[in-house]
Amino acid sequence: MSWEGFVSGLRSAVVWVMDAASVPVLVYFVLINTSLLVLVVLAYLEFRAQERRRATALSWQGAGLAPGVSLLVPAYNEEAGIVTAVKSFLTLRYPRHEVVVIDDGSTDQTFARLEEAFDLVPLPRELPQEIPVRARVLGVFVPRDGRTRLLVVRKENSGKTEALNLGVNAANEPLVAMLDGDSILEPDGLLHVTRPFADDPTRMVATGGAIRPVNGSRVVSGRIVRVDMPQTWLPRIQLVEYLRAFLLGRTGWSRLGGLILISGAFGLFRRDVVVEVGGLEPGTIGEDFELVMRIHKRLRDEGRDYRIEFVPEPVSWTEVPVTAKVLRNQRRRWHRGLWETLWAYRSMLFRPRYGRIGWLALPYYWLFELAAPLLELFGIVIVPLALLLGVVNVSFAVLFLVLAYGYAVLVTLSAMVVDEWAFHKHDRWRAISQTIVASVLENIGYRQATAWWRLEGWWASLRGRRHVWGVMTRTGFDEDPA
Amino acid sequence: MVVIGGALVVGATVAVLGACVLLVLLVVAVRARRQLRQRRDEMLLSPLRPPLITVAAGEDDDGTAVHTLRRAAGDSRTVLDRNIVGLLTKIRGVPAEQLVGVLEKHGAVHAAARELTSRSTVRRARAAQVLGLARAGDTVPLLVRALDDEAVEVRNSAAYALGLIGDAAAAGPVLSAIGHPERGLPAATAAETLQSMGVGISEVLRAGLHDAHPRTRMVAAHLSGERSFTRGLPDLRHLLDHDADVTVRETCAAAIGRLGRAEDVEVLARHTGQDEPLSLRRACTTALGELGDPAAVPALAGLLVDPDPRLAELAATALLGLGPRGREALVAHEDGPAVRSARLMASLQRASA
Repeated sequence: MSWEGFVSGLRSAVVWVMDAASVPVLVYFVLINTSLLVLVVLAYLEFRAQERRRATALSWQGAGLAPGVSLLVPAYNEEAGIVTAVKSFLTLRYPRHEVVVIDDGSTDQTFARLEEAFDLVPLPRELPQEIPVRARVLGVFVPRDGRTRLLVVRKENSGKTEALNLGVNAANEPLVAMLDGDSILEPDGLLHVTRPFADDPTRMVATGGAIRPVNGSRVVSGRIVRVDMPQTWLPRIQLVEYLRAFLLGRTGWSRLGGLILISGAFGLFRRDVVVEVGGLEPGTIGEDFELVMRIHKRLRDEGRDYRIEFVPEPVSWTEVPVTAKVLRNQRRRWHRGLWETLWAYRSMLFRPRYGRIGWLALPYYWLFELAAPLLELFGIVIVPLALLLGVVNVSFAVLFLVLAYGYAVLVTLSAMVVDEWAFHKHDRWRAISQTIVASVLENIGYRQATAWWRLEGWWASLRGRRHVWGVMTRTGFDEDPA
Repeated sequence: MVVIGGALVVGATVAVLGACVLLVLLVVAVRARRQLRQRRDEMLLSPLRPPLITVAAGEDDDGTAVHTLRRAAGDSRTVLDRNIVGLLTKIRGVPAEQLVGVLEKHGAVHAAARELTSRSTVRRARAAQVLGLARAGDTVPLLVRALDDEAVEVRNSAAYALGLIGDAAAAGPVLSAIGHPERGLPAATAAETLQSMGVGISEVLRAGLHDAHPRTRMVAAHLSGERSFTRGLPDLRHLLDHDADVTVRETCAAAIGRLGRAEDVEVLARHTGQDEPLSLRRACTTALGELGDPAAVPALAGLLVDPDPRLAELAATALLGLGPRGREALVAHEDGPAVRSARLMASLQRASA
């Protein structure tokens, strides 16, 4: 075949593909932007509600109905920061909480550090098996002082999910908070996130708090003493993503009564409900998402009156990846978890019994979270090809691109306004300009790369490849910016 | 068609980019406004800060500081009143009374009563708070009406104010506001409000135990235990036996543990059986220990071999607190992890006491 013939054939193919895809893509474009617009409107409503709440806030120190909380901290080779983290959790402002550290067979000095810092002694306690855990428990330990509400459980290595399930079994309080070992909680974070349970104790079953990237902030003894922007662009862009996800996404879904995702970095659950649904599913990738979906399914199947709510106040801070390699692994994992959970609960789609979960939240996640990278990659391939072959008008294509990405920036800026009005965590003026620049830069390279990585995760799942967790390289929290 | 499509895209692009620019300006404006307002408030308050601190610290012996504060006028007065309201949440006694006097002199308390019907949610909520902090007892009927406000912030603030005023006559409306279908009062606020009212609320709590809404029953049960209102015991027992909501039953168990009598051993023990939800069994076991009656020993001893090791340990812990008879019951199970664990925890706690 001659070169001209090949080009002509390719052009015909591209024209055919574009003709076939133009209507669905346009419908998708309109739908996704409309849904984002709805989220912006909900954010505006939330912003007004936040303003009202802030202006009329009453001090609440957790008196009366505040339920006790067990903070579950799974730890695997966390010798660098575990003692600081546990000390900061123990000193949170809350009337009744305990810390349960589950040492998941660490091969470093994690346990030795805890043993030394808290003068641990072995406790001959047999842990309940309300949630079956396969790994062997190696020991249960408590501080010798008899006052510090810390419980350390050592087990054979079997992963974070089993560690958390064991933590639920070991917990003594009616609420369990699932944390990452490197999470930093706001001193009043527990008060914020338990308040919905105290306000509606018979119906509330789970709450999630807003999570912020801690990179760049000054952390001393497990407390943030100065909030600052990350020092490099990769985490800055993730900060923009977090703002959008928590201040628009979760807030909006919570307002609509369709919250189906509570981040694994910080979620608070009624212990008895977690036990009732069988705990976290071992072997799943998106165990946090899967747990919330299982709770929804179970409670709706039983026709129970319950609530799952999002608390927009910043509650927890976490370190986000600073290298593309770690970020890639994280996004592959997230998208794989998303796919596997959505697939597992596909029977909930469009079923009246599941209300807004089945009719709104799940279709949205299928269409705009799961399929988004596929559509984005399709555009990335087909549009340049069409431009190269002269199939589309260059100025029209550029304009359309500016519109699409401009809309993305608009959504981010809406989240920024909410944040600035309600929380204003970043005091420096420079933070505003950096966030705006990050919201633009996000569309140049970052979005495309993450779309590809997400598809990699999806593809790996479809091919049935075993998931490898990889290592999240932490720079750690010390006296200097993380 | 293509021209129309092109024009649409151009129009949409311009609109989106224009909206982006507006939002950037809005972010900047929000921050600038906040900072300017802070500076302005600081400036207005600075001459009044020393007398304010003197009064708040209870050191205004000759009354000159209060006099200075009472004379404040214009914007300074507005900022001062706002700061006084903030301080009133932290101080008590004579300084608080003096500051309330300043607010009254400025007409802030009178204005607050009027503002309870303002169109602004924030104004209504703040007005309710001012009335509470000023202990304006004559505004209780207005505050009770505000419990039915469309905004939860106002309902919360009204309940908070009623708690500060402490008039038991408002207990009924507060308790029944919890179960309102659309305009419910958050249970935590209601509980705090009722907690700060006197013994006159016992009958209201008793009635609350029969409310149709589980949240109301739970608050009533919780407070009956906290305040040791023994008249509610028969109803608590009934709810523990029959309530459809397990959270309410657990709360009743805890309340009975606090204020129950010897005959409640049997009531609580009944719900430690394996046919009951585990969380309720544990709550009843703990309550049996709280009750502190040696009559609970046989029931608790039977739980030492329970398949749930946590329940067994709770029973062992409870027995340790029941004197010689309780400790005697542990002997037969001395080698079990439940007893060994409970003993170790008790000895560590004793050593640190």
